[in-house]
Amino acid sequence: MADRRIRLWDLPVRLTHWSFVALMPALWWTWKSENMFWHVRLGYIALGLVIFRVLWGVVGSSPARFTGFVKGPFAVSRYLRTLFSKSAEPIVGHNPMGGWSVVALLGALAGETGLGLFTSDTDGLNAGPLNYKVSDTLGETLTHWHGALFYALLALIAVHLLAITFYLVVKRENLIGPMITGARRLPESIAAPRLAPVWRLAVCFLIAMGLMWWASAGLPLRFPHAHP
Amino acid sequence: MNTKLMLGAAVAAVLGSAMIVGSGLAQAPTAPADKAAFMKERHHHFHEIGAAFKGVLDEFKKSDPSAAELQKYTAVMDNYAQQVPTWFPVGTGPETGIKTQALATIWQRPDEFKKDAAALAAAAHNINVAAQSGNLDAVRAGIAPLGGACKSCHEVFRARDEH
Repeated sequence: MADRRIRLWDLPVRLTHWSFVALMPALWWTWKSENMFWHVRLGYIALGLVIFRVLWGVVGSSPARFTGFVKGPFAVSRYLRTLFSKSAEPIVGHNPMGGWSVVALLGALAGETGLGLFTSDTDGLNAGPLNYKVSDTLGETLTHWHGALFYALLALIAVHLLAITFYLVVKRENLIGPMITGARRLPESIAAPRLAPVWRLAVCFLIAMGLMWWASAGLPLRFPHAHP
Repeated sequence: MNTKLMLGAAVAAVLGSAMIVGSGLAQAPTAPADKAAFMKERHHHFHEIGAAFKGVLDEFKKSDPSAAELQKYTAVMDNYAQQVPTWFPVGTGPETGIKTQALATIWQRPDEFKKDAAALAAAAHNINVAAQSGNLDAVRAGIAPLGGACKSCHEVFRARDEH
């Protein structure tokens, strides 16, 4: 059967994905070199992207939606049984295992950026915008978890990279290309995914930006005013 | 000098000296017998300073910062800051094998450490005087020098939190 190129990953999915790829080492490095000014600002961007990606997972293009790729245990085990089979039908978007990988990665990123809001350094001079909402000791505990969760995130990233390598080497399927170009070849028999309209992108973007700003300002209930 | 300031300073002084007398840490020219307990108490007191500093920062996040609350926090910081030089007798560093973030540099560069401790004492005293006088703008202005004193000393003499 003839193949044709279809648009699999839309621009928002690819941009968020590669932004995270760039942000992870940058956030690590800014922390390591104690450049908290940029660590905090890049952290806000990461938080905004997480919020955006979650919204896009609800109303975005079909391969981006959670309802499309979060599968139950039976689907996962069925998928695992066909892992080495060459005749398995191509999967449009995330496979049932990969779907959970997305959930885990996004969950860890949400946890990590969320915890970051509550952190504080020892001197209190570099405190997250929500540190004032918690006690000194709770702030210290959350700061510790912000550090510890980073290693969980690294482990998930390692699994993610291993899975991509497995697909490339064993299944001879390049998953990286489509995440760059957005396009992938699929048989005519398989329906192309539905892409979300641009206005939804704009709405999700604005909501994410708004929530990000609100969190970075310390969740004020009134419009903040400058101190005299 | 107004009476409120005088009263506040007097209260702080009495409170401070009472705490110094009551604290085992205050007089410590030589290493104490129970090093672990001493170092634990030291850690605890630094925590109290940190919590009080956070108390000041958080108070200013409120739409109507309370002078009384700020006075409570700055009195704690002033009191402890004056004691810091006595908290590091020889033999209470990382060489003990007891968990501590105190670096050996404290005893390797004692003059520098004393200078940093004196800077902290001055900054903590200034912000406390400001708070006891009820001048919130002066308290606010005292935050950066105090935090800076914490930070500059920690950079050289305290191990960073690593995960």
